[in-house]
Amino acid sequence: MKNVRIWFEKKGSARFISHLDLTRCMTRALRLSRLPVWYTQGFNPRVYMAFAMPLSLGAYGEKECMDIRLTEEVPLEDVARRLGERLPEGLPVRGAAEPVYRLEDAAWADYELFLEAGDPAGLMDKLQALLAQETIPVMKHTKKGEREMDIRPYFQGMEIHREEDGVSGRVRLPCSTAGSVNPALLLDALGQYTGEEPLVQITRKGLLTQDFSEFR
Amino acid sequence: MYPKEVEKLLPRVQKPGRYVGGELNSTVKDRADVDVRFAFCFPDTYEIGMSHLGIKILYGAMNQVPYFWCERVFAPWTDMEQLMRENHIPLYALESGDPLTAFDFIGFTLQYELSYTNILNMLDLAGIPLRSEDRPELFNLVVAGGPCACNPEPLADFFDLFFLGDGEEVDLEVMELYRRCKRENKSKKEFLRLAAQIEGVYVPSLYQVEYHEDGTVKSYTPTDGAPATVKKRNMMDLDHTYYPESFPVPMIEVVFDRISVEVLRGCIRGCRFCQAGFLYRPFREKSIDAIDRQCRALCESTGYDEISLASLSTSDYGELFALIDRLHTWTEPDKVSISLPSLRVDNFSPELMERINSVRKTGLTFAPEAGSQRMRDVINKNVTEEELLRTVETAFAEGWNRIKLYFMIGLPTETMEDVLAILELGKKVVDTYYAKKDRPGGRAVEVSLSAAAFVPKPFTPFQWFGQDSGEMLQEKQHNLRGANHSRRISISYHGAETSFLEAVFARGDRKLCRVLEAAFRAGQHFDGWDDCFDFDKWMRAFADCRIDPDFYATRQRPFDEVFPWDHLDYGIRKEFLQRECEKAYRGETTPNCREECSNCGAACFKGGICVEKRAHLV
Ligand code: SF4
Repeated sequence: MKNVRIWFEKKGSARFISHLDLTRCMTRALRLSRLPVWYTQGFNPRVYMAFAMPLSLGAYGEKECMDIRLTEEVPLEDVARRLGERLPEGLPVRGAAEPVYRLEDAAWADYELFLEAGDPAGLMDKLQALLAQETIPVMKHTKKGEREMDIRPYFQGMEIHREEDGVSGRVRLPCSTAGSVNPALLLDALGQYTGEEPLVQITRKGLLTQDFSEFR
Repeated sequence: MYPKEVEKLLPRVQKPGRYVGGELNSTVKDRADVDVRFAFCFPDTYEIGMSHLGIKILYGAMNQVPYFWCERVFAPWTDMEQLMRENHIPLYALESGDPLTAFDFIGFTLQYELSYTNILNMLDLAGIPLRSEDRPELFNLVVAGGPCACNPEPLADFFDLFFLGDGEEVDLEVMELYRRCKRENKSKKEFLRLAAQIEGVYVPSLYQVEYHEDGTVKSYTPTDGAPATVKKRNMMDLDHTYYPESFPVPMIEVVFDRISVEVLRGCIRGCRFCQAGFLYRPFREKSIDAIDRQCRALCESTGYDEISLASLSTSDYGELFALIDRLHTWTEPDKVSISLPSLRVDNFSPELMERINSVRKTGLTFAPEAGSQRMRDVINKNVTEEELLRTVETAFAEGWNRIKLYFMIGLPTETMEDVLAILELGKKVVDTYYAKKDRPGGRAVEVSLSAAAFVPKPFTPFQWFGQDSGEMLQEKQHNLRGANHSRRISISYHGAETSFLEAVFARGDRKLCRVLEAAFRAGQHFDGWDDCFDFDKWMRAFADCRIDPDFYATRQRPFDEVFPWDHLDYGIRKEFLQRECEKAYRGETTPNCREECSNCGAACFKGGICVEKRAHLV
């Protein structure tokens, strides 16, 4: 048995499918690829798959990963190619490799945000003013209900740039099974404090471990 | 691909995956390479439409032709619709993202009457004029097919033409004709006149209707050389009828996430309430080889791990066990399961259950349709109480403990006694469970009885029958529920109000086009969904148009009445239906097509069961 980590993108139409839908797509593609995947044992065997932190609906994932197990040796390039051929266009495979870290070692994620605006300078000012607030309390929806949370500590170091047709930003946020901060919280705050609701594109660039090395 | 402006709406709606396309196996062509573009519109949600077999067949059939391009369109749910209207985004197709106004054909499938308002809403959302006469160009033709096309009159003003019967060939022929007419710069009128000459094509604008003073039809007069009766198209040789080798695989969960392979078309049974049982005659089977080939191809292209052997009554497939055994030779090693869409009371057996592993041990569903034997004879549902009880006994012995039984109320000649017999039957099922000595330790039996209000349909022996009034249906439901004191039995109903509306439109005429439009203008759509259905608004629409819905639904019609669908020919003769109706009132049953031919008229298609030798005659 061999663990293989598949690297893929989640883009285009596929950005709008849930994590559960993603697992279903992957199951079908793995079946189609005819790769010797390992099935879980028990009454209802299913293709074994494990993911690092799920991506939120609508976000573009540049370097997503999923672990599978193979019962026979297959060259890694072949694994990537055979699976890639069977996935919809929004889920291109970027490679297959032996896992370096355990899935639960993921601790941080780098995000890129692009906020579309007719008046980039105006939006830039508002964002800067927002980030300069002493606290930025927003309501966070959790399983247990609504909870107020100050997001300033997470976003204060965010770099923002004025672009031709909007504002871009980069931010590193906690992303682990112990707790994650969703970059969309900043947009909630923007709406709440300035009334701005720009069209936003969130990209997760990749995951990092606790000591900020690239998750591989 | 969706249009860019949709992007900012998607985070604000439920299930955005409904609106984005991009599925595996969806067909994207270059606009410059195609001559005719067809938008296949399903007037319900993505999840329901993508579970429908017809769309997959026709999508594949059209896209096989290099110069045709068929795309998919579904009704956006109310949240998305509102945002689209606010942002002036017209309804678009999932493959190209182009608005419907870019298409040569806008084709709807008519699966149930309660989706009619969605059709108008979708046209409106696309900015396409609703009425055929307001679309003078040979472009944006609005067409439809599907079971409800057997009486399309309540939609006649909106559509340019209807396809009757099997669509695999006739749709393509009409598209070819269009392509030629376009090249020759013909007018829409000329095109429609030529289309009406193709078997299976009904052009409503070529027929003039006259009514009697009492509102019933006096006559249909064809004009411009249109045929006096329009015959449905029938694909006789299913082995050689187009069947897709792949279809778009939804990325989000839909109602049926599985492969469907049609194993036969038509039905031998002749249940008198069942429209499909008559519309799709004659009964035709696909060969085991063809089914096996099609199942393999679809597994190879979709990755699904379940195959449903689809048809009106799959257990009537002549060599069912041989078929399943053949499939098992490869489905078992590939971990693919096989399921049947419905089980019949009279052939449920441990052998069958052993062969289809996907039936979950939790619940089993059967449809005795009526509670008393007398009533079952009236509707020609040839199932006896002993058979049902024997079947549930088998099921209990195999480990099931939840049984769901489907019934109808409001059937012709029904008395309160017949209604209460539904409950009696339920009780006997419960007793059967407790009479069993070796039942699994301590588990209680659960029997749910579902009672739907009967809707009389065209092309059935009950097409003359006046539906029970709403009050009568409610009284029957009330009594049935009141009589139940068992905690093992639960009773559910299917709305009397929606059934009334279905009955109006199923047997309606062209005068209803106005009502439909009025109801749509009043904001009615998704009528099949409880959270959207508003009966009072509908009644207001009827009142505003000065149309009495009871004229269509509850009025008992005389045998000599001319019906709005009499000029459409599905092979079934009206005299046969009348004979069946008279037998029903006498409580006499009719043998199924395999036992004996009853001369319904479908033999005119010269094939299938009608020409097969019957065992006892040889
Ligand atoms: S003609 Fe006879 S065998 Fe054929 S469908 Fe009708 S009743 Fe059945």
